[in-house]
Amino acid sequence: MQLQIRNLSKRYPNGVQALKNVTLTLESGMFGLLGPNGAGKSSLMRTLATLQEADSGEVTLGEVNVLKDKDRVRTLLGYLPQEFGLYPKVTAFDLLDHFARLKGISDSRARKAAVDGLLQRTNLHAARNRKLGTYSGGMKQRFGIAQALLGDPRLIIVDEPTAGLDPEERVRFHNLLAEIGENIIVILSTHIVSDVSDLCSRMAIIHQGEVVREGSPLELVAGLNGRVWRKLIGKEEIPGYLLEFQVLATRRMAGQTLVHVHSESRPDASFEAVTPDLEDVYFLSIRKPAEA
Amino acid sequence: MLQLRMFKDILAFELKRRSGMLSTYVYFLLFALAGFMAMVAAGGAFSGITVGGASDKVAANSPIALHALISVLSSLALLVSAAVFGQAVHQDFETGIHGIYFTTPVQRGSYLGGRFFAAWVFMVGVVSSIGLGLFLGTRMPFVDPKLFSPNRLILYAWPYWVMVWPNLFFSGAVFFALGALTRRMVAVYTASVVLVIGYLTAGQLFGKLENRNLSALVDPFGMRATELATRYWTVAEKNVLRVPFEGLLLENRLIWIGFGVLVLAGVLARFRFAYELPSGKTWAVVAAEEVEVPSAGVVPPTPVTPPRGLGWVPVLVRMTVLGFRETVKSVYFLVIVFAGVLFMVVAAFQAGNLYGTLTYPVTYSVVELVSGTFSIFILILMTFYAGELVWRERDANIDGLVDALPVPTGVTYLSKLLALMLVPVVLMGVMMVTGLGIQTARGYFHYELGLYFKTLFGLDLLGYLLIAGVSVSVQSLLQNKYLGHFVMVAYYTLLLFAGKLGIEHHLLRPLDAPSFTYSDMNGFGHFLAPVLWFNGYWAAFVVVFAILGYLGFARGRETGRKERIAVASQRWTRPVQGLAAVAVLAFLGAGAFIFYNTNHLNLYRNAHDDERAQVDYEKKYRALLKAPQPRITDVSVDLDLVPKQRTLRARGTYAFANKTQVPIRTVYVNLPNDQPFALLSVAGVAKPTRSDARLGFYSFDLLTPLLPGATGTVTFDLTFEPHGFKNEGDDTEIVANGTFFHSTRLPSLGYQEGEEVSEDGTRKKYGLAPKPRMADLDDVAARQNNYISSDADWVTFRATVSTDPDQIALAPGYLEREWSENGRRYFSYVMDSKILNFWSVLSARYAVKRDTWKGVALEIYYHPTHTWDLEQMMRGMKAALEYDTVSFGPYQHRQVRILEFPRYAAFAQSFPNTIPYSEQIGFIAKEDPQDKEDVHFPFFVTAHEVSHQWWAHQVVGGNVQGATLLSESFSEYSALMTMKKAFGDFGMKRFLHHELDLYLAGRASERKKEVPLSRVEDQAYIHYSKGALVMYELQDAIGEVQVNRALARFLAAHKLKGPPYPTSRDFLAELEKEIPPDSKHLIDDLFNTITLWDNRAVSASYRDAGRDAYDVTVKFTAKKTRAGELGEETEVPVDDIVDVGVLAPDGKPLTMERRHLKSGAGELTLRVAQLPGKAGIDPLNKLIDRRGEDNLVRVDRAP
Repeated sequence: MQLQIRNLSKRYPNGVQALKNVTLTLESGMFGLLGPNGAGKSSLMRTLATLQEADSGEVTLGEVNVLKDKDRVRTLLGYLPQEFGLYPKVTAFDLLDHFARLKGISDSRARKAAVDGLLQRTNLHAARNRKLGTYSGGMKQRFGIAQALLGDPRLIIVDEPTAGLDPEERVRFHNLLAEIGENIIVILSTHIVSDVSDLCSRMAIIHQGEVVREGSPLELVAGLNGRVWRKLIGKEEIPGYLLEFQVLATRRMAGQTLVHVHSESRPDASFEAVTPDLEDVYFLSIRKPAEA
Repeated sequence: MLQLRMFKDILAFELKRRSGMLSTYVYFLLFALAGFMAMVAAGGAFSGITVGGASDKVAANSPIALHALISVLSSLALLVSAAVFGQAVHQDFETGIHGIYFTTPVQRGSYLGGRFFAAWVFMVGVVSSIGLGLFLGTRMPFVDPKLFSPNRLILYAWPYWVMVWPNLFFSGAVFFALGALTRRMVAVYTASVVLVIGYLTAGQLFGKLENRNLSALVDPFGMRATELATRYWTVAEKNVLRVPFEGLLLENRLIWIGFGVLVLAGVLARFRFAYELPSGKTWAVVAAEEVEVPSAGVVPPTPVTPPRGLGWVPVLVRMTVLGFRETVKSVYFLVIVFAGVLFMVVAAFQAGNLYGTLTYPVTYSVVELVSGTFSIFILILMTFYAGELVWRERDANIDGLVDALPVPTGVTYLSKLLALMLVPVVLMGVMMVTGLGIQTARGYFHYELGLYFKTLFGLDLLGYLLIAGVSVSVQSLLQNKYLGHFVMVAYYTLLLFAGKLGIEHHLLRPLDAPSFTYSDMNGFGHFLAPVLWFNGYWAAFVVVFAILGYLGFARGRETGRKERIAVASQRWTRPVQGLAAVAVLAFLGAGAFIFYNTNHLNLYRNAHDDERAQVDYEKKYRALLKAPQPRITDVSVDLDLVPKQRTLRARGTYAFANKTQVPIRTVYVNLPNDQPFALLSVAGVAKPTRSDARLGFYSFDLLTPLLPGATGTVTFDLTFEPHGFKNEGDDTEIVANGTFFHSTRLPSLGYQEGEEVSEDGTRKKYGLAPKPRMADLDDVAARQNNYISSDADWVTFRATVSTDPDQIALAPGYLEREWSENGRRYFSYVMDSKILNFWSVLSARYAVKRDTWKGVALEIYYHPTHTWDLEQMMRGMKAALEYDTVSFGPYQHRQVRILEFPRYAAFAQSFPNTIPYSEQIGFIAKEDPQDKEDVHFPFFVTAHEVSHQWWAHQVVGGNVQGATLLSESFSEYSALMTMKKAFGDFGMKRFLHHELDLYLAGRASERKKEVPLSRVEDQAYIHYSKGALVMYELQDAIGEVQVNRALARFLAAHKLKGPPYPTSRDFLAELEKEIPPDSKHLIDDLFNTITLWDNRAVSASYRDAGRDAYDVTVKFTAKKTRAGELGEETEVPVDDIVDVGVLAPDGKPLTMERRHLKSGAGELTLRVAQLPGKAGIDPLNKLIDRRGEDNLVRVDRAP
């Protein structure tokens, strides 16, 4: 199944252009959506999740028109929003069971099997009879993915899922996503670059509502080979460098500042070549969108 | 110092923050607008609306009007202040900023104090705009300047100081405490509901005279205390006096401010600067559990085949049940329901009080009570939980998950509608159980479950379901919970006032249906059909509205208008369009049918149209007032009643005579407006020469003039029948069971002055000059008519009435013959003596109770289940016949009949030898055998009506001032003395106490002018209440025998005589002969002036005067005043004989003497044989004294 997004645009009533002519084609597998806060990732996600209208453009999932045939899309969809709450006084099992009904799993035996299975898979089975108000952040997040997996989703959208998780939880979560992403389309929106490089076979970088890069992470990184240079400088030199060079990122290192600079050739002898990584791609994309 | 500065900083920061918020200005403007509208309305800007003062003699901006307007309008601020005070601390928890606040060096006192007083100052500022709005209202060019007095700043400020500021302090403290300590706003809003209930409960307690002081203290807003302090104020006082800040009002303010201080102290003690930990298990345990369980690997996906169409029904049911359960499980829901039940119970034990006599809790009255008192709670709950239901997912922030699920939006939306609709269903059950409990607790076991179901689960529920539909739709459309609440409250409020704005047609009043009255005799009668039609009409409307709500229902994050329209158009599918079309058609169809009934079959007239007709009648025909007209001398009627069709055919002939000295060329006949007739002829003129059907006025030019002394006839054939149904006010006289048809609907002769608009304000609006309420006492011309009819004197009478075979039909006179014909039952009545042309006909399925008194047949025709009070009525008839015959002269008939009629009206009325008596009064009264002071209501009312056979039906006053003294006051007196004779004077004190209260309250709300008793202008508070007090005091002063002698002589002189008819002067002349020389002033004090007393016992002490003897010395002041028409008083010297007395500590009189007193301070000594408790002057409050409670004072041992 293929998800096609064509010329999707959206402007909010307050004038913010959230999406500008977004065109993307997604196949099965994990698709990373990278961008700074406020880039339009969540707007795109919500539009795909039928929760928001687009001003113009088209989206199709297989044969289904996502923008028009919402009820049909929702049967194919699993969605984990960036922020969500749960009824604190309801147990995990009951709420998941409730969602299963709402998802249309009316056969009670199949529903119980699905709910039990998902609770096991997300490691919540032991805690299934506890009120959701007692859940930790990681558990809530896993509950969120469990409900997104209910039924037989063909498209799963997860928005900033690892924000606020500790490293161990995050690894566990990544594994879960990776397992899912083998046969269906999983869109992972994040601003953490390593999430994408670790998990996704395809990705897009979105900035100020526009797709500024699209491709496989490896290809994108390869595209920068031999064009990223670094140098340790003093703090007071930074303003000058920002004017003179296309600085991708600066980082404190051993009391000095390490700058990454983008340039077709070595700017001068004091710079040394670096093997680019996805972070460089990302910073390049959002620094100079015009060059993309 | 530092903390004080911090307090100030916090206060200032809060005020600055609030001053930057739009809502601040919205509130300010709203309250200003409310004040402005109230004042311009009171100033006559909208015709037909009166606000505040009861009389146009009281200035719209009088001190008391400003006091009332400011305190009432500021109570609307309760919702705002709940939010402001509740949020004062709670906002920090909500935003999460408390972590930062609590780690600064600010101390609790400064933090809490700063926040509280910031909120208080803010609210004081917001509600100050009411005064501003009121003031601006007085200055508008379109108000009537005559309705205003000069503005004074202090009059605007005073209510704020006395009422508003303390109320904000107290209620604010409660809201503040709840918000800070529970950290939940729901608790705050619940508290605001509970406060309102406290106020309402205080109001319930207020119903009983004995509880007034308590109720004044219990009411947290001080309104009752104000009411109590100003209850007897006359027009003159209302215009100048400020509400005194003393006594109960002062105590009330101190109590509640003190309570507020306590609450704030409690907050200070309990509030902790601590981070709120989530409840439940600790996180450490959670973490341990998580790690233990290994991943179970991949779960095979469950194939989903989403249901189609009806397949979603189980999901709908489940979602409905869940939503409903969440609602009713909420602790706040339970609190409000509990409060409502409490309120019903309190109301139940206050209800049905007739002079302290209880009524039986018959089912219809209990149902009306519970559904009336609980309705406000139902509306609060539905308004509030509509918001909760619609916002449930978004409030829990789970909407992101839920909205992406494949449940059709319609299913979600419908589940919310249904969940809210289940709420009133449950509440109806609560009401029913409470009602049954009330009946049981009062020892009444005749439960009518069917009636409970029909009323509560039938008609009432229907209305609430419609409201549920609208509430959810409004919440869905508006997308703002609080705005949704506001809109619903605004809707309820507007509906309350729609009538005042002239919107009376229920087709234009959303969700409104005609009112209906259940009667034991007639059931729901003919009311049901219109109620159901209107409900059907509004149900279709609600469906349309709910479809709009569905189209606007939020799913996802759309907030822009454009996007919402886009979403709506996606939902506007074929089935939805179909449903909408059906609903619109049903709405239009039902509307058209209703309109056809109310406006085509019936002539639709609102109050304004009726007024207009009265005015036109006066303008067109008043010139004929003096035109000589014949007088009716004989009435002969055939009335055919078809109860089931509510039809009455009236055929009849009046004989008339020209009693004037001039020939009569034209006879004028009145019928009800727009009344059709088959025949109307006068003296051989078969058709009216001129007809005015709209005003029901027909002129007959006679072929030959009717010469003085000549006679003639009026013949008529009219049919009264219903046509479909009316918007409101369907005929309740001719009904399926319990017809009570009054002779005033039959033809009358000559211009009817009684039809004119009497209220001066209304007259002015139509360009009519003001007119006196009644002709002057000395107007000789007016005495040519009695006050009951203007076209007849004493007439002979016969009537034949036919009805259904299972009913008995009754009319004045004696039953000559009864027969059946064509399946109908006929009764022929003939009266053997002359009567007033004032009679009625009744018909119902009656049971009959019979007895005799000295050859007079006594009969009670009653509804078979209403047997409780028959004995008392019989006793009352006998006792009154006995007393009146002995005291005043023989009874003119051979029979007295009491006839029960449905509770569409609540009175008893005396006609010649018949007394129609409403089922609501008397027939369900419950006497308390334990209560020695019981007033014996059915006995008393019966005695009063029987006495009217003398006072009205033997002697009737001329149509001038004072006429009703001769009928109502004398009947009241006769009944009172009958009761005293039958039961002793146990009940007198309570009875007279009630009469005094009614009189004083009545004169305080007099709209035109108060007059002395001898000039009473049909004012109930004068001829009943003052009449009873005056006549009782009179017989106390000069003796019962003397009074009765005067009455008997007056009666003998005028029995069945007139015209000219007697006046109060004729009676007073007889009375004068009986009054001893030293009491001559009584006639002026009691009858010819408005005399008030202000007696006061200042102190009292006693000394031992030997064995079992005590000398009690009382210091007192005596004061007597005469009041003018508007209550302005001038003092007159006291030179009277007044009761003085000493009471034992248990309240029993130890001695009672009559002493001669003079004005001013005095002292007197009385000897008693027991230890005295209280002493004073006029201890039993026989004199009219506005502060009767200070007549007695505690007796202390002399030093």
